[in-house]
Amino acid sequence: MGEVELSCLAYVKMYLHACLFPRCSVNGLLLSSSPAGGAVCVTDCVPLLHTHLPLAPITQLALTQVDVWCAQTQQRIVGYYQANACVSDSSPTPCALKIADKIAEQCNNAVLLMIDGGKMSPDYRVPPIVMYERKDTRWTLKDKHTIMLRQWEETRDIASQLLDSGDHSLLVDFDSHLDDITRDWTNQKLNAKIAELASPANASSIALPPGGGTVSIVTFTWSSSTARGRQQNINSLSINHILLENSPEWRNNG
Amino acid sequence: MGHVKEINVLIIVFTEMRDKLRKWREDNHRNSEQIVDVGEELINEHASKLGDDIWIIYEQVMIAALDCSRDDLAWTCLQELKKQFPGSQRVKRLAGMRLEALEKYEDASKQYDSILQDDPTNTAARKRKISILKAQGKSAEAIRELNEYLEQFVGDQEAWHELSELYINEHDYGKAAFCLEELMMTNPHNHLYCEQYAEVKYTQGGLENLELSRKYFAQALKLNNGNMRALFGLYMSASHIAASPKVNATVKKANVKYAAWATNQINRAYQLAGRGTKENKCSVKAVEEMLESMQITMS
Repeated sequence: MGEVELSCLAYVKMYLHACLFPRCSVNGLLLSSSPAGGAVCVTDCVPLLHTHLPLAPITQLALTQVDVWCAQTQQRIVGYYQANACVSDSSPTPCALKIADKIAEQCNNAVLLMIDGGKMSPDYRVPPIVMYERKDTRWTLKDKHTIMLRQWEETRDIASQLLDSGDHSLLVDFDSHLDDITRDWTNQKLNAKIAELASPANASSIALPPGGGTVSIVTFTWSSSTARGRQQNINSLSINHILLENSPEWRNNG
Repeated sequence: MGHVKEINVLIIVFTEMRDKLRKWREDNHRNSEQIVDVGEELINEHASKLGDDIWIIYEQVMIAALDCSRDDLAWTCLQELKKQFPGSQRVKRLAGMRLEALEKYEDASKQYDSILQDDPTNTAARKRKISILKAQGKSAEAIRELNEYLEQFVGDQEAWHELSELYINEHDYGKAAFCLEELMMTNPHNHLYCEQYAEVKYTQGGLENLELSRKYFAQALKLNNGNMRALFGLYMSASHIAASPKVNATVKKANVKYAAWATNQINRAYQLAGRGTKENKCSVKAVEEMLESMQITMS
């Protein structure tokens, strides 16, 4: 099915959102600045709520405002993320499914991303996320081979750095914005900090390999996982693709 | 001379720290990392100066330490409290909380049961047992226990609010509304309860609930005109009512007016907020455009 790529910026902000409110369920929207069609590239996210996720008014308000902002900035809403307060349970709640359904109405390869609280330690080997996609009318677990996170170790380190320095408190979600409307839910300040910490290679736009299309990305990730850490001669970018757990190559490499 | 000044500075630092802790205690803040920072230093460096305050500080720091996975610090505090107050129910409860933090829920439950055997009216132990159910994801049981608890202890505001949160998470909005009604009755000046009630009514949907929600958003604003959620809520509920085909012209006109008033207030608030800061220009612009696009016109 469709490939999904998650940018450093989106991942770090999602992660920090969950860390900022460790006792609450949190949610947010996944955005893309790439045109529709082909792989879904999640390039940014907007953290939304940390209270009363199932209640309608603020969710509706936030969706509308983010929609407007996306139109102003040539972005699209391509997905939804949530981290449950109960760390042992990372399955999508009814309200997560509802919001994801709404997003899927506008974007047919929308993704639903659940953060797995139990796997969020700073040195965890794989991103603590579980992704779902819409097949017919149900949200089903996405094939892990189709999810990509460039420069995973670097992304993970950036998130840890921001946590240690206390900069995660710079993150503003929509709830915090409503408590104090001078605070900016588009998080320009934090975005700049993350961009500073990210390496130049990571900040570049997505470059598909020559003859690129969905099929070649899949084979491309298979070969790069066995060659993890070695220079990849593909469009002169060194890309460490991390496949989520249980891929045979991953297990072989230990 | 310098020596005396040094001591004065230390005394000031110490009193500041102690006062900070007291303030956080009184306001019931859950800023656990800060409490651990300040509290740990206070205990380690200034224990002798604290007098009898030290015991309540041990309790406060212990709970904060549990929140931050600092079992070492929590254990130290617990030992001091056990020494000073052997056989105390209050200390037993703290020991139970530590077991909870270590996810030893069975042992924690037994601890609370032993407190309740000696004192069946001990509300703290009962509430901790309910928290264990919540932590284990057993919402239905937690709701049942909490309902039973509230039959006995009808005035426990904290419990009513906790129950409303549990119902909201279960999407049982009718019962959540009932809990909030209890809270509004006993706390008529609390704008937050009005606003939460309005949000629940809005979520329930349907014209009657929308009108109720608008009324309560308005009430919340009356109690606190800085409540942005209430302001947006008023705008949205009035807009939806005005746009509904089921309302007559008078109702429609009235709600268009309410929505227009809310729009004005929102614009003013955002303009005030946007002054001088480049940061939130994006959010300000988004709100402006949103309000424009959602204009209700009289047909």
